[in-house]
Amino acid sequence: MAEAAYVRRFNPYHRVLHIIMATSFLGSVITGMPLRYSDTPWAPWLMRALGGYEQAGYIHRICAAVTFGYFFSHLIFAAYYIAFVKKFRFRIFGPESMVPRLKDLKDVYGSFRWFLGLGPRPEFDRWTYWEKFDYWAVFWGVGVIGLSGLCLWFPAFFGRFLPGWAFNVAAIVHSDEALLAAGFIFMIHFFNTHMRPEKFPMDTVIFTGRVPIDEFRRERPLEYGRLVREGRLARLKTGPPPNWLLCLAVPYGALLVVTGLLLLVLILLGMLVY
Amino acid sequence: MAAVFVLFLPILANAGLNSGCYACHGEKKFPGGYVDETLYSRSVHGQFSCSTCHVNITAFPHGTPRRVNCMLCHLTGTGGAPRTPALQYELSVHGTAVREGLAAAPHCQTCHGSHDILPPGDPHSRIYRKNIPRLCSRCHKAQYERYKKSIHARALFEMGMERAAVCYDCHEEHRVPNVTSPKWMLWLIGKCGSCHKRELATYRQTYHGQVTRLGYTTVAKCPDCHGAHGILPPSDPGSTLSQKNRLHTCRKCHPGASGGFTTYYAHPDDRDRRRYPQLYYTWLAMTILIVAVFAFFVVHTFLWAYRTLRERLKRKGE
Repeated sequence: MAEAAYVRRFNPYHRVLHIIMATSFLGSVITGMPLRYSDTPWAPWLMRALGGYEQAGYIHRICAAVTFGYFFSHLIFAAYYIAFVKKFRFRIFGPESMVPRLKDLKDVYGSFRWFLGLGPRPEFDRWTYWEKFDYWAVFWGVGVIGLSGLCLWFPAFFGRFLPGWAFNVAAIVHSDEALLAAGFIFMIHFFNTHMRPEKFPMDTVIFTGRVPIDEFRRERPLEYGRLVREGRLARLKTGPPPNWLLCLAVPYGALLVVTGLLLLVLILLGMLVY
Repeated sequence: MAAVFVLFLPILANAGLNSGCYACHGEKKFPGGYVDETLYSRSVHGQFSCSTCHVNITAFPHGTPRRVNCMLCHLTGTGGAPRTPALQYELSVHGTAVREGLAAAPHCQTCHGSHDILPPGDPHSRIYRKNIPRLCSRCHKAQYERYKKSIHARALFEMGMERAAVCYDCHEEHRVPNVTSPKWMLWLIGKCGSCHKRELATYRQTYHGQVTRLGYTTVAKCPDCHGAHGILPPSDPGSTLSQKNRLHTCRKCHPGASGGFTTYYAHPDDRDRRRYPQLYYTWLAMTILIVAVFAFFVVHTFLWAYRTLRERLKRKGE
């Protein structure tokens, strides 16, 4: 039964999009943080390693363009999925949707009870509340960092109708929101999805799209039950990820995680020196 | 002790010999050059004999004296002569120009004088703080004309602010580095900030201030916006940052600069609620957001880790 030991969780489009997103995010953080923490000893060194502030600026803006690219690509995909794949029968507040619902609040409450040993672990469906938070945090983050970044990228254009202080505000928002995003991804997202003891050191599902069926049943019993009831599980069953995919996914995933953790150390150093 | 004695030997050996020199050089109309004995004896070198500096004058009558080489003592530190200024001068644009044979380049004497050298704190000294602009103007006339009208000159000469910048504060006395040197350009930012502390601190909060702190010079530094010698407060219509001139100044680097540039705060302080309410409340909102998100998730993460580890231990125990 080795061939059927896995369930497909992410399609290739989402897997590729996540790699693009993770890579451009790290590129943005590496090239941006030396400015925010320009008073630290590591900042000038990192800036030189990146080829100077001008080149770092080009890399930063390329990453920004990639970010806008995946952002709109996702919106188009979501619209296409709802309209053509689901023929407008997609339940916006259903279990397969990223839209938060009452159950998520109950799950937060239930999780804290479980953490404190006051109750059982809540049963999750396709998306847990922390996964939904990650998803909407990107929406919010890309919106806020993107808009403020565009102001700072094209000041001559925006200066035609925005007052000067809007650029000061944009600079504060861009930098603070970037700190929030970087800190959140490198601490919270990394722990929630990769570093927690069940997953340590890395959950490769986002790269391979496949999750072992036992793990799937244990972690998302509601989705598992639903798939069984609706007779959809058989179609999602698949074999283990091919070796070539693992050979690509594991080192690249490790590179992303290690780079992120190193950046986290630099940011924490910057906050302590500051 | 013997060493000290040897060092001062020329002085001691020639003590009293100056009176012989004054026999001729003390005459105002003496064609070989008049030296005012009173002035000289009051000068910082007043206790030295003439031949301490005029080393090739050993007998009478004597020929044309060579130009005095101050470095004989000051580069070596002979008799406790301060060495640092001499070393710095040798590396400065002035010292370099002299070595390269530029006739107009200043020697020590050009600025300090020769027989009338007084300590810098003496108002009669050529290098007294308030006399510096006039001194430098002997060569740098155009810069002096602009400086004369600047807020620094007005502060120093009219408002009695003794610390107001004169030439050597920015151009570093003996060091006088090349004005195109990136190191000096970056150093100068800190120098402006040594008086204008708040302005420096707030400049560092902007992209300009961050890039320069990382060691790059191709973004706006103090003089790029404020001007250099002729610096005026932005409230002055003649300032590079007056409402009339501001956009033109921005366009030196941002050719397409539009109206919004003129109201940008190049020295913002997001903790100053009174002056920059928009920035203060932005900062406050962002800080609350960051603290709230991290507070929630850090607690969440630690409790989660605690629960998972406990369950693992329990399972192992079974």
